Amino acid sequence: MNSTVISTKNSTGDRHTRLLEAQQAVNQILLGKDLQVRLAFCCLLARGHLLIEDVPGVGKTTLAHAVARVIGSDYQRIQFTSDLLPADILGVSIYKREKDAFEFHPGPIFSRVILVDEVNRATPKTQSALLEGMAEGQVTIENQTHILPSPFFVMATQNPLDLVGTFPLPDSQLDRFLLSFSLGYPGPAAERELLTTEDRSHMLSRTTTLLSPEDVEALQKDCESIHVSDNLLDYIQALLLETRDERWFETGLSPRAGLALLRASRAHAFLEERDFVTPEDVKTIFPGLARHRLNPSSGFSHSPEEQIRELLDQVPIP
Amino acid sequence: MVDPGRITMLWVIATLALAMSPQLVRMPLAVTVMALLPLLWRVGAELRGWKSLPALVRHVMTALALVVLFYSYGDLAGRRSAVSLLALMLALKLIEGYRIRDARLVVSFSLFLCATQFLFGQGVLMPAYGAATIIVALVALTRLQRNEAWSHAAGNAPAVQASLFSELGFGFKLLVVAVPVGLAFFLLFPRLSSPLWGIPDSTLDSKSGLSDSMSPGSIQQLFMDDSPAFRATFEEAVPPAGELYWRGPVFWRFDGKTWKGSFYGSNVPASGQPSLQGSPWSYTVQMEPNERKWLFALDYPVTTPPDARLSLDFQLIRREPVIQLLQYSVVSNPDFVDSPELPATLRAQALEIPESSNPRTRRLVEEWRRETGDDEAFVRRVLNHFNQQPFHYSLDSPLLGRDAVDEFLFETRTGFCEHYASAFAVMMRMAGIPARIVTGYMGGWYNEMGDYYLVRQSDAHAWAEVWLPGQGWTRVDPTAAVSPLRIRQGSLGALSAPRHLIDYPWLRQARNSVDIVQQRWNDWVIEYGARQQARLFAPLGLDQATPAMLVSVLFLAIAAFGAILFPIVLRIRGPSRLDPVQKAWRRFLRRLERAGFASLPSSGAIELAGAAAAVLPGSAPAIHRIAGLYTRCRYAPGPAPLPELQEAISAFHPPRKSS
Repeated sequence: MNSTVISTKNSTGDRHTRLLEAQQAVNQILLGKDLQVRLAFCCLLARGHLLIEDVPGVGKTTLAHAVARVIGSDYQRIQFTSDLLPADILGVSIYKREKDAFEFHPGPIFSRVILVDEVNRATPKTQSALLEGMAEGQVTIENQTHILPSPFFVMATQNPLDLVGTFPLPDSQLDRFLLSFSLGYPGPAAERELLTTEDRSHMLSRTTTLLSPEDVEALQKDCESIHVSDNLLDYIQALLLETRDERWFETGLSPRAGLALLRASRAHAFLEERDFVTPEDVKTIFPGLARHRLNPSSGFSHSPEEQIRELLDQVPIP
Repeated sequence: MVDPGRITMLWVIATLALAMSPQLVRMPLAVTVMALLPLLWRVGAELRGWKSLPALVRHVMTALALVVLFYSYGDLAGRRSAVSLLALMLALKLIEGYRIRDARLVVSFSLFLCATQFLFGQGVLMPAYGAATIIVALVALTRLQRNEAWSHAAGNAPAVQASLFSELGFGFKLLVVAVPVGLAFFLLFPRLSSPLWGIPDSTLDSKSGLSDSMSPGSIQQLFMDDSPAFRATFEEAVPPAGELYWRGPVFWRFDGKTWKGSFYGSNVPASGQPSLQGSPWSYTVQMEPNERKWLFALDYPVTTPPDARLSLDFQLIRREPVIQLLQYSVVSNPDFVDSPELPATLRAQALEIPESSNPRTRRLVEEWRRETGDDEAFVRRVLNHFNQQPFHYSLDSPLLGRDAVDEFLFETRTGFCEHYASAFAVMMRMAGIPARIVTGYMGGWYNEMGDYYLVRQSDAHAWAEVWLPGQGWTRVDPTAAVSPLRIRQGSLGALSAPRHLIDYPWLRQARNSVDIVQQRWNDWVIEYGARQQARLFAPLGLDQATPAMLVSVLFLAIAAFGAILFPIVLRIRGPSRLDPVQKAWRRFLRRLERAGFASLPSSGAIELAGAAAAVLPGSAPAIHRIAGLYTRCRYAPGPAPLPELQEAISAFHPPRKSS
């Protein structure tokens, strides 16, 4: 886009290049969803978790799978159902007679990348078992604390339309997800390509690993050194303050959400090959960060997305 | 029911103290004490946490204060007593008021009290003092407002972190914002040619200046007084100070000690104009109020100021006492002959002396009278005597007894102008030459910067006039024979010793020079009235400005000030002090706008560049470059590429929107 803004950080050099290649590879599998892919990578780099809200069949699983493939980690998919128990996720201790002891069999949560399908189908007890693991990076089973692998990246999906027999996540648990977005239908050109080219699952199986878990951890560290100027902090604060105004939303964004916004904006700047955060980074991140955290004040017929877009238009950039 | 808080309360007390102080000085001691007691008690209560006084004590104190006030002034109707009553009641409010509204009431009335000081004087420093009081009052009011606002929200306000200096600075800013409105009111509020309400006679606390009688020591007293008596601005030629005999009260009757005016002299109007020669002096006198009726002018006043008359002995007497600054113009002609013929009644009056007093003087006069021929020669003989014998011009003249002239001429030989004038006139009368005493001011200090003469009370002087056949009344100044310095260098130059502890020539000089400030103040501010207002409007074609017109112009002016001031005030308060990066960026946005691209404040630079480049494809590279540079300046670490940004924006000239 604009060459003068770009300044590549030499120290990150190689792994940064591979990160961009990985992003590119995912883009080739999931067509026409550059923004969502970028947000997914932001989420990964900012040590967050992702919530995808969409109808079935638009590529949620494909996205998760592709991300898992390029970062070369084990990948687990958990389909949440109403009869799923916490132990099904966390794992169980089974008595081994030959050792005369219980042996812990880790559940699917002990993977680096997890796709949780229809997270709102499981009972709250099961949901909270997962969400606790997401928040703490560890799980405790029968007084035994087990550290989860790192990087640990959860992508959860939920169907916003089919709400019969679901247990909607409470606000406090939605807060565990750094970003959320919907994939939406592909554009005409992307859809055509999808229809005419190779099957996605084949492509997935051919996708090579570009980043090691260690690389991901290093990249996450790199993001933290992205510069944030006072002017930008002013903007972030102005945004946070505006969300707390009653005329927009029932409740505003929490300080934790503010920290998350900053972290994700840094990751976005990093993906854009910049060593400092610009308001555009914040503006790109903000809708994904805010939409699952904010409820429009009653009396508004706007959807959260429209409300957030309007809010962004109201806050001048300092 | 919120406590104003200790520091705020001290500000309130300080406001009252400041507003009260100028009045306290003028109040009787008992009233001053009554006003200070509650004030000091409240300060103690705030600092030491004393309990509030029981109701009985408060009531007794209030009653006592009223009694003291009535006892001190005799009545409660006068201005002085009314102001004292206000000050007392405000002070007493401090011992019972513990709420914010009480404190606010005290501050508001203190402002009124502060304004009342202008009823008693209008010196150039008083507005400055008033401004200082207002600033403190504004700080107190601000603090009260703040505490009250907090009381609705969350109880006690957090302590103010501002320093004393910054608080006063804030008050000062508020005051400065009000200055244009004040100016508009001053210039445009309809001035009436006569006051709306009668100003009582007794404006000053004591009459000052020359009085209607003269006895030894009366002018000497004035000599200690450095306050200005009047200022005179000459239109063309400025006469030397030695020729300036400002004529005041004239005395004919002498009882052996005191000289008094004559009924004829001051009540019979001057009989026609004397014959005049030579060129007249025209000048304007700006006279300080002294609560007396005499206007001062040089001999002989050809024109008479309005509201004044010229008496037989050429005193200018006004119908009303001068109770506020008075400006009048006079034309004087120094070359004249006064009364070539002297009527018998006047002649008798001008020769009257107490029988059988001052025998030694009488003998001396008779001796000289035999030796000398005509009256003129006799006058010269007496003046020679003063000049050659060891007479002294001095402040410390001893008290004189019954035969004052004898003692003065033969024993003490030390005195002030009134001693010489009096002795001289008595000798003349003994010799059968009609004589009278004239008091007034002699000389003055010429202020070169302001081109005017400043005459102080200390320039008061007394001289004599003798009637000579053919020449009429002729001025003779015996002091000049004793101490020519008095005439040449002014009253103060003739003295070797300072009058008091801080009396140095350089200090007097400095004070005389600084007087120009007061003179200008009088000229431009105090004297500003209906006439000056009309003159101000004449260039606008409004010679006949009615009050209604003036008020409309006044409100228009205030509205205009407001329109100018509001954005400025808002800008001062807002955080939008633009740094150079922002300034350059604004310029860029303005140019984009002229090219037909309107930007949203909520769009980021790069976002905006994308949109602008779509509208102006020709300038796309420049737009992207500027946006990139701006983003670097604003958000990147390290040194900002500001020069490049400014340069790029200066070179950025998108094609103007074709309409």
